Amino acid sequence: MKIRLFHKFFIAFLAIGILVAAIAGLLIERQLRSGLTRWIEDEMTAEARIIALMPLEEIVKHTTDLAERSHSRLTLIDAAGRVTSDSDLRDAEMDNHLNRPEIQEARLKGKGTNVRYSRTLKTDMLYVAFPLEDGAKTKGYVRLARSLREIGPSFDHLNRSAFHALLLILFCALAAALIFSLRAISPIRKMTKFTERVRQGEASGMILIESGDEIGLLAENLNEIMSVLQDKIRMADEEKEKLQAVFAGMAEGIVVLDAHHRIETINRGMERMLSRRREDIVGRTLLEAFRNVPLHDALERFRQIGETVSQEISLGDDRSAVMDVTVSAIQGDTRRGKKTILVFHDVTRLKKLERVRTDFVANVTHEIRTPLTAIIGFVETLLQGALDDKKTSRKFLETIRENSQRLNRLVDDLLTLSGIELGEVTLHPEDLSVAESIEQVLTVVAARAAEKSLKLVREIPEGLPRIRADRDRLTQVLLNIVDNAVKFTPKGGTVAVTASPGEEGFLTIRVADTGVGIPKGEIPRLGERFYRVDRTRSRELGGTGLGLSIVKHLMKVHGGRMSIDSTMGHGTTVSLHFPIFEESK
Amino acid sequence: MEEKRHTSAEYERELQEIKDGLLYLGALTEKALENGSTALMERDSELARKVVCDDDQIDQIDFELEERCIRLLALRQPAARDLRFITTAIKITGHLERIGDMAANIAEKVLILNEIPQIKPYIDLPRMAEIVRGMIRRSLDAMVRSDVELAHRVREEDTVIDKLNDQIFRELLTFMMEDPHKIQVSLYIMQISKSLERIADHAEGVAEMVIYMLTGKSVRHQPTCKTNG
Repeated sequence: MKIRLFHKFFIAFLAIGILVAAIAGLLIERQLRSGLTRWIEDEMTAEARIIALMPLEEIVKHTTDLAERSHSRLTLIDAAGRVTSDSDLRDAEMDNHLNRPEIQEARLKGKGTNVRYSRTLKTDMLYVAFPLEDGAKTKGYVRLARSLREIGPSFDHLNRSAFHALLLILFCALAAALIFSLRAISPIRKMTKFTERVRQGEASGMILIESGDEIGLLAENLNEIMSVLQDKIRMADEEKEKLQAVFAGMAEGIVVLDAHHRIETINRGMERMLSRRREDIVGRTLLEAFRNVPLHDALERFRQIGETVSQEISLGDDRSAVMDVTVSAIQGDTRRGKKTILVFHDVTRLKKLERVRTDFVANVTHEIRTPLTAIIGFVETLLQGALDDKKTSRKFLETIRENSQRLNRLVDDLLTLSGIELGEVTLHPEDLSVAESIEQVLTVVAARAAEKSLKLVREIPEGLPRIRADRDRLTQVLLNIVDNAVKFTPKGGTVAVTASPGEEGFLTIRVADTGVGIPKGEIPRLGERFYRVDRTRSRELGGTGLGLSIVKHLMKVHGGRMSIDSTMGHGTTVSLHFPIFEESK
Repeated sequence: MEEKRHTSAEYERELQEIKDGLLYLGALTEKALENGSTALMERDSELARKVVCDDDQIDQIDFELEERCIRLLALRQPAARDLRFITTAIKITGHLERIGDMAANIAEKVLILNEIPQIKPYIDLPRMAEIVRGMIRRSLDAMVRSDVELAHRVREEDTVIDKLNDQIFRELLTFMMEDPHKIQVSLYIMQISKSLERIADHAEGVAEMVIYMLTGKSVRHQPTCKTNG
C-alpha cells in the first residue's frame, strides 16, 4: 500500500517531467529551425537586392560568378517568365517561371520568398526573388535559390546541446520527484504503521510529526482520537472488570442463555453449586445441562408469558440442594436476539431453618401442654370435691407442684438457650481447676446415685493444666452431663468421670456410664432442641429435652466442643473438650 | 450431528427439540421412579397416586415426540448421522415410555402395600431403585456428552440389578415359607422388584441405542460380560 502510494507519486512526477521536457524540446527545435531559415533568407534577400541594382547585362555576364559568391543558384527571368540565364543549368530549356509563387509575390509585392522541395536537387530549397525595374516598368526578375541542406550540421549541433540540457533538467526533476515523494510519504507511512499497531491492540504512544501542513494536522487529530479512544477503552475495561468481579464473586449461581436457548455462560457460583466445570455446561441447552423437570417447566412458562418467573427446584443427584430460581430476560441489545438469565439462589439452609423453627414451635407447645394438662386436670378434680379428702388432695397437690416445677425448668432452659443463642449470656472466664468443679457436681448427684445404688468413680490425676472457663457455666455443663448419666444408667451401674489432657491445647473431661446406650444414627441429632432418643422415658425422668442442646451451645461459646460415643447396651461416653488456660492470654 | 453445520437453522432447531424432548421425557421418568421409591419408603399414598397420574403426561410426551420424529423423517429426509439419530430417538422414547409405565405399576403396588402392615424395612428395594435411576440418568448423560464409554458402563450395571433381584427373590421366598400370612405382601414386593429389573433392562436398551447413535455399531444381543480365559 505504502509502496504503491510512493510509486504513484513518483510516476506522476516523472511523467510530468518527461512531458515538460518533450514539449520544451519540440518548441526549441522548431524555434531553432525557423530562426536559421530566416537568417539565411535575410542574407539572400540582401544579396538579391544588391544583384537587382546591377544592370541586366552585367548580371547576365557574371551570373556564374555572382552565384558562386553568394553560394546560391542565380536565375534571371524576363517579364514574360522565360528564364534568360541560370547559374546551374546553362542553356537548358526551362518552364515558364512566371507562375512560381516567389515570382508572383515579387511581381505583386516587390519581393518574394518561398520554400519548396526541389525534385531536381531532392532537397528543400529557399527561393528569394526581386523584380528588375526599369523606371516604372518591370523588365524581369532576379531569383536566388539556396538549398536548406546546408543549415543541417549547425542545426544538429544546436539541437544536440539543447537535448543535453534537457536531459540534465530531466535528471534534476527525477531527483526532485524522488525526494519529494519520499518526504510526502514518510509521515503517511508513520501514521499507517501507528494505526496498524492500534488495530492489533497495542495502542500506545503518539505519532510525532513536526509539520504544520494538513498531514501534520491529520497526525495531531489522530493522536487526539487515540487518547480519547484509549480513555474510553480503559473505562469500558474497568467497567467490565467490575461486572466480572461481581458476576464471579456473588454467591448466587447465574446461568445466561443465548437467543437459541443454549447456555452462553455461567458464573463461578453456579460451578460451585453444580460441582461441574464450565466447559461441561456452556453451549448446552438447559435440559442437557440440568435435566430438571421443574426448571425446564419454569423456563417454558417464562417463554410463554414473557415475565419473570420464580420456581423452587431441587438440584443434585440426591436432590438435597433446594434452589430458588428466577428466570428473567436480559434487558438491552435485542438485535442479536433475546437472552435469558437464570439466577439460582441456594435456600437449602433457609429451608432447613424453617423446618427447625416449625418443629421447635410444635415441640414447645407439646412440652408446655403436657404439664399444663396435668395441672388443670388435677385442679379440676380438687375443685370437684377431692379437696375434702385430705390424703388424696395432698398427693394431687404434690403432682401439681411437680408439674409446675417442670414447666418452670422448661421456661428456664428455654431462656438460657435463647440467651446463649442470641449472645446475651456474658461469660466471666477465669482460670479454673476442673477437679474442684467435678467434686462439686458429684456431691450434688451423690444422693440420687445412692438411691439407684450407682457407683460414682472419679479419676482426676494431679497436675492437670487449668482451663479457662466461666465457673458457673462449667458447673452447669458438668451437672447436665453427669445428671443424664445417672438418669439413664440402670440400678447397680457405674458412672465414671475422668479428666485428662486431650488434643493439642485442650483438656478433656469424660463422663462414661454403663447405661442403655444411644443408637449410632441418633448421635448427630442429640444436640437438637427437644430431640430425645426415647421420648417417654426421658419425660418420666423429668427432662426437658433441652439439656444437651444447652451443653452444646455452652461448649461452643467456651471455644470447646462436645463429642459423644456410644455402644448400644454397654453405655455412653460424653467427652467435653475445654481449651487450656494459657498465661499469655 | 453436533459438528456438522446445517444450512437450515430451522432443521437444526427441530433436531435439538427432539433431543431436548428425549431429555425431558428422561427427566420425567426419573422423577416418577424417584417418587415411586419415596412413596414406598415413606408409605406416602398421596405421592404414589401422583406417580400413577403423571404417567399420562409421560405417555402424551412420548406420543408427541414420536410424531415429531416421523414428521421430520417425512419432510426433511435426513441422511447419515441425522437419520440414525432420529431412528434411535424413536426407539429411546419407546424405552422411556415403558419405564414410565413400570414406575406407574410400582406406584400401584405401593398403594396396595401401604394398606398392609410392613413386614420388614425395605433395604434392597430403594438401593435397586437408586441404581436404576442412575442408569437412566447416565444413559442420557452419555447421549448429551457423546460419551460412548459411559453408555457401556451403564450396560454393565444391569448385572448388579439382576443379582439384587435374585437376592430379593430368595429372601422373600424364605419369608413366605416361614409364614403364609406374609405371602401377599411378599408377592407385591416381588412384583416391584421385577418391575425395577425390567426398568433396568429398558435403561440398558437406552444405553445401547445411544451407543448405536454415537458409533453406528449395534451392541444388542451380545454378552455384556466376557468370560475370563
